[in-house]
Amino acid sequence: MNENFSISRFITAGILHRPARNLAITVCFGLIAATIFSTQFLVAGTAGTIGEGVSRMGADLLVIPSQYALLLRGNQIGPVTAGTIIRVEPSSMRIATSYMDAIRNVPDVAMMSPQVYVASPSVPSLSASPVDIYGIDPITDFTITPWLTEPPVKSLGHGEIIVGSAISGEAASSIPLGAHTYTISGRLDPTESAVDHSVFMTLDDAYALAAEPGILTPDAPPIQPGAVNAILVKAATGADPSMVGARIQQPFPSTTLKVLERQATLKPASKAAQGLPALLNTISLVVVLAAFPLVALIAAMAAHERQRETGLLLAMGAPRRSIFAVILTESLVLALAGGIAGVALSAAAIFLIVGGGHIPVLQGFQLPALSGTMAIAATAIVIVVLVAGLASLVPAWQSSRMNPWEAIRDTR
Amino acid sequence: MIEATGITKAFTTVSGEVRAVDMADLSAGKGSFTLILGRSGSGKSTLLAMLAGLIRPSSGMVRIKGEDMGTLTDDQMAALRAREIGFVFQFSGLIPTVTALENVMIPTLFLPKSSGTRERALALLSRVGVADRADAYPATLSSGEMKRVAIARALINNPSILIADEPTGDLDVDTEAEIMGLFRTLNREGITIVMVTHNPDLIPCASHTYTMDRGKLTENPDALLCRRGITGTLLGQDLQ
Repeated sequence: MNENFSISRFITAGILHRPARNLAITVCFGLIAATIFSTQFLVAGTAGTIGEGVSRMGADLLVIPSQYALLLRGNQIGPVTAGTIIRVEPSSMRIATSYMDAIRNVPDVAMMSPQVYVASPSVPSLSASPVDIYGIDPITDFTITPWLTEPPVKSLGHGEIIVGSAISGEAASSIPLGAHTYTISGRLDPTESAVDHSVFMTLDDAYALAAEPGILTPDAPPIQPGAVNAILVKAATGADPSMVGARIQQPFPSTTLKVLERQATLKPASKAAQGLPALLNTISLVVVLAAFPLVALIAAMAAHERQRETGLLLAMGAPRRSIFAVILTESLVLALAGGIAGVALSAAAIFLIVGGGHIPVLQGFQLPALSGTMAIAATAIVIVVLVAGLASLVPAWQSSRMNPWEAIRDTR
Repeated sequence: MIEATGITKAFTTVSGEVRAVDMADLSAGKGSFTLILGRSGSGKSTLLAMLAGLIRPSSGMVRIKGEDMGTLTDDQMAALRAREIGFVFQFSGLIPTVTALENVMIPTLFLPKSSGTRERALALLSRVGVADRADAYPATLSSGEMKRVAIARALINNPSILIADEPTGDLDVDTEAEIMGLFRTLNREGITIVMVTHNPDLIPCASHTYTMDRGKLTENPDALLCRRGITGTLLGQDLQ
């Protein structure tokens, strides 16, 4: 070993001795890393946001009584809206939950949950609008709970209700409905639909409430336990909801029940949202591809600038592999430094902008988890180092192949 | 120690082939002090580069300690240079990014094993009279100091051959005398020296002298040199 002097000291000295040039190169690498990091961070965040949005999109399919489907088709109740796939429309037409046993066995049915509409009493203390009361199955529900403002600590229980955003009342406070009082266990985010004026309780509580006198309108048929207005169905990821719907419909005559697909108008928005990550990924790719020749040019210029030094080292007996290693390592070190700095600054800027919530369009943006963020940061740095390494290969090889005498003579 | 036989270095230019060195023969035995004199552009530096294994001759053969350089790969030649040859360039040839002391230590990086490097480098800097500038960067050194550091660097691997290309070309008279005194001392200690110079005053130092003129190398008989001195007739205007 050589005391106090080594190739690494030589490389470090080479980097530190040209601060302006190497700072410029480091900034260049930093910009590349920052672009990769920020786009991939947004990709991950968008994916999370879309995932969150998709989880709130409600059901892909509605299994409803045939008569109700006829009313929908005749537009007497209204189209299947966003609200409908979260919470079924108020209706007095019902089917039995026993259909769920058959639906459960249909391939590509990921989730299903029944809902029953009870009544829409006017309760001025709770809402200016009539309050729609629903029964849901807290165990299988997948359309209401994703809208809770706070993640539920436990499933909705007996005597508890979930209220829409427009319903008055603090959490854990009691609300009188009929002859009973119910405790608010959760509140939903605004949906800009009738869901905001709804109250959700367990199916058993709903049947009990419906049995109380004066709850149902006089013309409404009584609600028998086990009867529901709709069974909301979620198709498995990647499955075609139309095919799943056809499979559900197949064993049942269309005069008994009808399977409706989620309103088609929701699909374009979903597709547009899912196209954003592709756009961001394309930006990342373009930056990397555009950066490659730039980095190669910088590496070639740096190698050319050091031509005299390289010639001297070769003249002193440096093997070609040492020259190759020196040039390549210098580039990798600058890329690593630039990558780390670029990612750090980019992360700080993103957290300040997104985390601060100052930009309305970014409100609700789901920041990726720390582990995911670290993985993205590491990926960005690795990509920059790889780009630097690959782009420096040719200049490093050319430098190592130089004739020492010519390298020295040409730069004198 | 160094033996060149019929070496030629030809370059192709737009006006045709140019022979920078044409069929040169040179022999420098162990412990000898060989001077190569000649005017600018006569091919002295090219000859020196071939003797040091920095470039390969177009034809002919160079042997260093009996080893035919033509049979070696580039890395084998580099290893031979690191081990056996110290080179003092016409210009300072110092690496600007490291200190004088680190410049002296650089060649040790290319030897398989080297110990006591720092102490040896300091001792060499002390020997050439610039120990107090060990931590200075080349940009802050004078021409004479840079040359001394370059000589110390050429000696760090204990080479048996020291090749110097006009090592005193840009120095004042006093510094030149000191540097040449240093070369003489090194030669007396057994190091074989091959030096290119313009300066005829250095002839008394040499055991052999050669003259290079338009690529042709001619050995000068000692007797002739002593009798005539190095005159413009022999070597051209550069030497006056």
